[in-house]
Amino acid sequence: MFARIVGQSFARNPRRKLLTMAALVLGITVATATLTVALEVGDRMAREFRSLGANLLVTPESDTLPLEIGGVDYRPVDEGAYLQEADLGKLKTIFWRHNILGFTPFLDVPAYVSATGGATTLIGTWYDHEVAVPDGTTFKTGVSATHPWWKIQGRWFSDAANECVVGASLAAKYPGAIAIGKTIYVAQTEKSSDIRPLVVTGIVSTGDAEDNAILVPLSVAQGISNHPGQFRQLFVSALTKPADAFAERDPKSLTPTEYDRWFCSPYISSISYQIKQVIPGVDVRAIRRVAETEGRILSRVSTLLWIVTLAALIAAGLAVAATSAAAVLERRVEIGVMKAIGATNTSVTALFLTEHLTLALIGGAIGFFLGAGLARFLGASVFGTPASPRFILLPVVLGLAILVALIGGLIPLRRAARFDPAPILRGE
Amino acid sequence: MAPLVQIENLRKEFANVRALDGVSFVVQAGEWIAIMGPSGSGKTTLINILGGLDTPTSGRAIVDGTDVARLDENGLARFRAEKIGFVFQQFHLVPYLTALENVMLAQYFHSTTDEGEAREALGRVGLTDRVEHLPGQLSGGEQQRVAVARALINHPKLILADEPTGNLDEANEGIVLKLLRELHAEGHTILMVTHAASIGQLADRRIDLAHGRLATEHAARRV
Repeated sequence: MFARIVGQSFARNPRRKLLTMAALVLGITVATATLTVALEVGDRMAREFRSLGANLLVTPESDTLPLEIGGVDYRPVDEGAYLQEADLGKLKTIFWRHNILGFTPFLDVPAYVSATGGATTLIGTWYDHEVAVPDGTTFKTGVSATHPWWKIQGRWFSDAANECVVGASLAAKYPGAIAIGKTIYVAQTEKSSDIRPLVVTGIVSTGDAEDNAILVPLSVAQGISNHPGQFRQLFVSALTKPADAFAERDPKSLTPTEYDRWFCSPYISSISYQIKQVIPGVDVRAIRRVAETEGRILSRVSTLLWIVTLAALIAAGLAVAATSAAAVLERRVEIGVMKAIGATNTSVTALFLTEHLTLALIGGAIGFFLGAGLARFLGASVFGTPASPRFILLPVVLGLAILVALIGGLIPLRRAARFDPAPILRGE
Repeated sequence: MAPLVQIENLRKEFANVRALDGVSFVVQAGEWIAIMGPSGSGKTTLINILGGLDTPTSGRAIVDGTDVARLDENGLARFRAEKIGFVFQQFHLVPYLTALENVMLAQYFHSTTDEGEAREALGRVGLTDRVEHLPGQLSGGEQQRVAVARALINHPKLILADEPTGNLDEANEGIVLKLLRELHAEGHTILMVTHAASIGQLADRRIDLAHGRLATEHAARRV
């Protein structure tokens, strides 16, 4: 009978409930949308900022100072320290391995290029290279992952072929000798007998020193410089948490519990620390400018979204309180009659509470799906791609809807339960 | 045998208004009592106290051995469910429940529902073919008959009717009064508030109230 009373109340007396539900649906829609975007924003903005460049630079600890002029390293190939290509798979074994989105080794080699008739820098790197991970799996990475904004005309070289891509400025200087499809010849020096033919597959535009260089597969640069299996710099793109004061603490000064917490948080500092653990003898530097901007913006956007969520829920609660109060007044005779025929305060409260919970569940579910739609729209307009619905939020959102409905309905429901039936039934 | 209703020096004050001022009387089981008097004489207040909808300021109102003044809120709810059957002037049916569901609502608050019994009760008041109708689809007389069926469904010791024909036309008034006569004949105890002397005369006894006091008490002429 209880379910029948509630069911008939919904079916035959829906007007006031629709108002309460509309308030809930609106509040939950906004809350779902902002929560979905808040969850999405962390991942998405981190990825967006990743596209501004890798956020960690790994170099040999005992390296000599680079002799860089115009972004090109003019150190002789025999000077300075090198890193081992064979160690790179270990990056995917650290605690935050899944946050390592990509890494690319670089080896700058001064070389003689036939087409330019002089010394030009060859930059050995990977475009889309398969790295063996010690656990037996493989990981594909390269500049495609760490430098996605580099623009290529034509196509990238194949990592295993004698191919190259030429920087846009360099190609523009030698329009006759360097073009897509042509073969250029490179050697360590003009007099070297080890001359390698490389087919130009693309012209790359990076807005940086690479525009004046020739990018070749890492193995080619290693062969020319006679440093097989070695490289000089490694750019790592890692998904990180915004840095705070705790992130900057020296791990040696932390208590064991603090150390665990620090180690298990994806701070740039803790990921750097973990990289050093698996590849000893390296220096890991955060590319601060990007990381700090990212942290600041992320935390501001996140705070703003939480405020909007809270405001939407408070507004919904107030609207629920107002419509519930009106509904209780409208139904006071019904409450009086129920009490006259034997209903206790508890049974009246239970009836109204069940109506509220039902409204919360229905309103919460509708709000969730509308909110998911709104999040898609917001995601599409802010980030360019729609935010996908997160069903993990559904129970959270339903819980919030129940909370809002109960808090909003608390005072009117208490009043309903305490109505004195005698004056109501007398028509006072 | 102890009387079913025993009222001793009953007083009820609202703010500075004395609605009942030392009323005492007894009602034996099976009696039909008409409570009469002008507006504001305390009739409805008396009925409300006897039905556990209100509590007296002082005095005792004992119904079937229970002193209503001593019951707490839950006790009063239980008392109303088990011992009292109300019939109101405005019918007071729940608007979104059918005739059948309105009767079953009283069963639900009493103990458990029994649809067959509820249908029987509606058949008893001549509404077999109206059980699935909502109050808004029923005439005033039909709504009042649903209210009578609801009042009877839990076999109450006492039926309290507050102007039960006050909102009805003559034809429907006749139907409802006939029902009350039948109930009385079956042995039900009825306390009925009415303005109309003609209706008051149907009762075994008439209690007249004036300014919250017992004015006269006399046996009515049975018609």
